[in-house]
Amino acid sequence: MNPVFSNLLSRIGPPLIAFVLFVGAWQAVVAIAELPTYLLPKPSDIVAAAADNWTHLLGSVSTTLIETILGFLLSVIGGVLGAILLASSKIVERSIYPYAIVLQTIPIVAVAPIIVIWFGAGIRSIVTIAFLIGFCPMLSNTLIGLNSTDKNLNNLFTLYNATKWQTMWRLRIPAALPYIVGGLKISCSLCVIGAIVGEYVAGVGGGQGGLGYAITYAAMRIQTPYLFACGLMASILGIAFYQIVNGLSRKWLGSWHESEMRGDHD
Amino acid sequence: MQPILRLQDVSKVYPNGTAAVQEANLEVGEGELISFVGPSGCGKSTIFRMAAGLSAPTAGKIEVLGTTPEEARRSNGISFVFQEATLMPWSSVRDNVALPLKLRQAPRKVQDEEAERALELVGLQDYAKALPRQLSGGMRMRVSIARALIANPRILLMDEPFGALDEITRQTLQEELLSIWRRNPGMTVLFVTHNAFEAVYLSNRILVMTPRPGRISREIAVDVPYPRGDRFRTGPEFGRFVGLVNESLKH
Ligand SMILES: Nc1ncnc2c1ncn2[C@@H]1O[C@H](COP(=O)(O)OP(=O)(O)OP(=O)(O)O)[C@@H](O)[C@H]1O
Ligand SMILES: [Mg+2]
Repeated sequence: MNPVFSNLLSRIGPPLIAFVLFVGAWQAVVAIAELPTYLLPKPSDIVAAAADNWTHLLGSVSTTLIETILGFLLSVIGGVLGAILLASSKIVERSIYPYAIVLQTIPIVAVAPIIVIWFGAGIRSIVTIAFLIGFCPMLSNTLIGLNSTDKNLNNLFTLYNATKWQTMWRLRIPAALPYIVGGLKISCSLCVIGAIVGEYVAGVGGGQGGLGYAITYAAMRIQTPYLFACGLMASILGIAFYQIVNGLSRKWLGSWHESEMRGDHD
Repeated sequence: MQPILRLQDVSKVYPNGTAAVQEANLEVGEGELISFVGPSGCGKSTIFRMAAGLSAPTAGKIEVLGTTPEEARRSNGISFVFQEATLMPWSSVRDNVALPLKLRQAPRKVQDEEAERALELVGLQDYAKALPRQLSGGMRMRVSIARALIANPRILLMDEPFGALDEITRQTLQEELLSIWRRNPGMTVLFVTHNAFEAVYLSNRILVMTPRPGRISREIAVDVPYPRGDRFRTGPEFGRFVGLVNESLKH
C-alpha cells in the first residue's frame, strides 16, 4: 500500500471507527428503548431535521459567522492597539490596566441586556458582545508580550539610540507576536460563544436570526432534533474558526518561533 | 592627551545588594586595545555596561569621549558586542547586521551595502538571507560582531566575543579584529576574555581583575609592536607574558 495513504489511514482510522461505533450505538439504543424524539432524537432524526431546514440552517450559520468575524476583528484591532497604547507609557498602563482586569472578570452575560438597551436588538449588540468577550484576552496577552522583550535586545536598541517608536515597531511588536497569536487562539473561540450568547439576548441579527436565535426558537417549540442540528453546527463553526486562526498563526510564526516549530531541520 | 575612557573610583552595587565592582580606576587612551581578564562574576560585563551608559554606577565617575556615557552613546560613539549574540530571531542575518544603520535611518541601499561588507569581514557573506536559528552559535557571534562593526564606532566594547568559537575560527577572527583595528587608528577596543593567550596576543595592555567585588588589581603592558603574527605567538616572549597573566590571576 502507498505509505502516505497507510499513514493517513492509521491516523484517521481509529477516531473514525470510534465515531461510527458511537453514532451507531446511539441510533440503536434510542430506537430499541423507544425514547421520545423530543427527549433524545436519533442521529437519523437530526440529519433529517438539518436536511429539511437546510436553507434556514445555512442562513443561521452565515449570520453567526459574520457576527463572529466582525466581533473578532474588532477585538483583535482593539486589543492590540489598546495594548500598544498602554505599553507605550508606564503611567497610562499603571492607571488603566487594573480596570482592564476588572473588565475581564465581569461575566459578560450579566451585562449583555444593558448592551441591548444601548445598542438595540440586532447585529450591533451581538457584535458588541462578541467583541467584549474577545477583547480582554487580546489586550492582556498582547500587553504581556510587549513587556517581555529580551533584556539584552532592549539594551541593544538603547545602545544604538532607537527612538521609542522604533523600539516598539522593530522590537517589541515582533517579540510580542507569539503572545498575540496566543491571544488570537483564545479570543477566536470566545467570539463564537459571544456571538451565540449575544443572539440569545439580542435576538435577530442581520437579515436572519443566527444560530443562537435558532436555538432559543427551537427550544421553545421543543424541536429537539433541529436543536441538536444547530448545536452541532455551532460546534463545527467554532472548531473551523479555531483551525483557521491556528493555520494563520503557523504561517506567520513558522519561520522563527519555537512555539510553532515542529522539529523541522531545514 | 584626553583619555577616551576614564573610570574614577567607580563602584556598582546591584539593587539586590551584590557588590559587583569596587572602586575601579582606569584610563584608556585613544587607539588602545585593552583586554580585561578575571574570574567569572568579577564584574567585567558590569564595567562594560556602565561604560556604554546602559547601567549607572552607584559611586564614582565615568567619562567617555570627554563626556557622559549617555552622551557618547548618543553621538553614535559606542558599539557593544554582548556576551550572548543577542540577535532578533525574526530578522535575517543581513537585517540584524544593518540594525544600527537602520535605527539611524540610513538609506536602504547604504544599509544593504554596508551589511554585505561587514558580513564579508566575518566570513558570512553567503548567509545574508538566513535566519539566526539556522546558524551555529559561533556564526551567530560573528553576526553580532559584524553588527558592532557596521556602526563604525570610536569605542568598541567586546564582551568575550570569541568564547564560543573553535580555535581556528577564533584565530581567524583575532587576525580580523587586529587588522580592522589597525586600519582604524582612532578606534579603541576594550575586550573581555578568559583566555590568557588571547589577551596577550591581541592587546597592548591587559587589566587583571580580582574576584567579586571586582577591582583592577594589576596592569600588564604588552609592549610588542604590531603586526605580531605567528612568530610572536610561538616565541619565548609570548610564554613569559602568558605566565605573567596567569600568575596575576592566581593572586
Ligand atoms: N542585573 C543584576 N542584578 C544583580 N546582580 C547582578 C546583575 N548582573 C550581574 N550581577 C552580579 O554581579 C556580579 C558581576 O557580574 P558580571 O556579569 O559583571 O560578571 P562577569 O565578570 O562579566 O562574569 P563572566 O565572566 O561570568 O561573564 C556577579 O556576581 C553577578 O551575579
Ligand atoms: Mg560577563
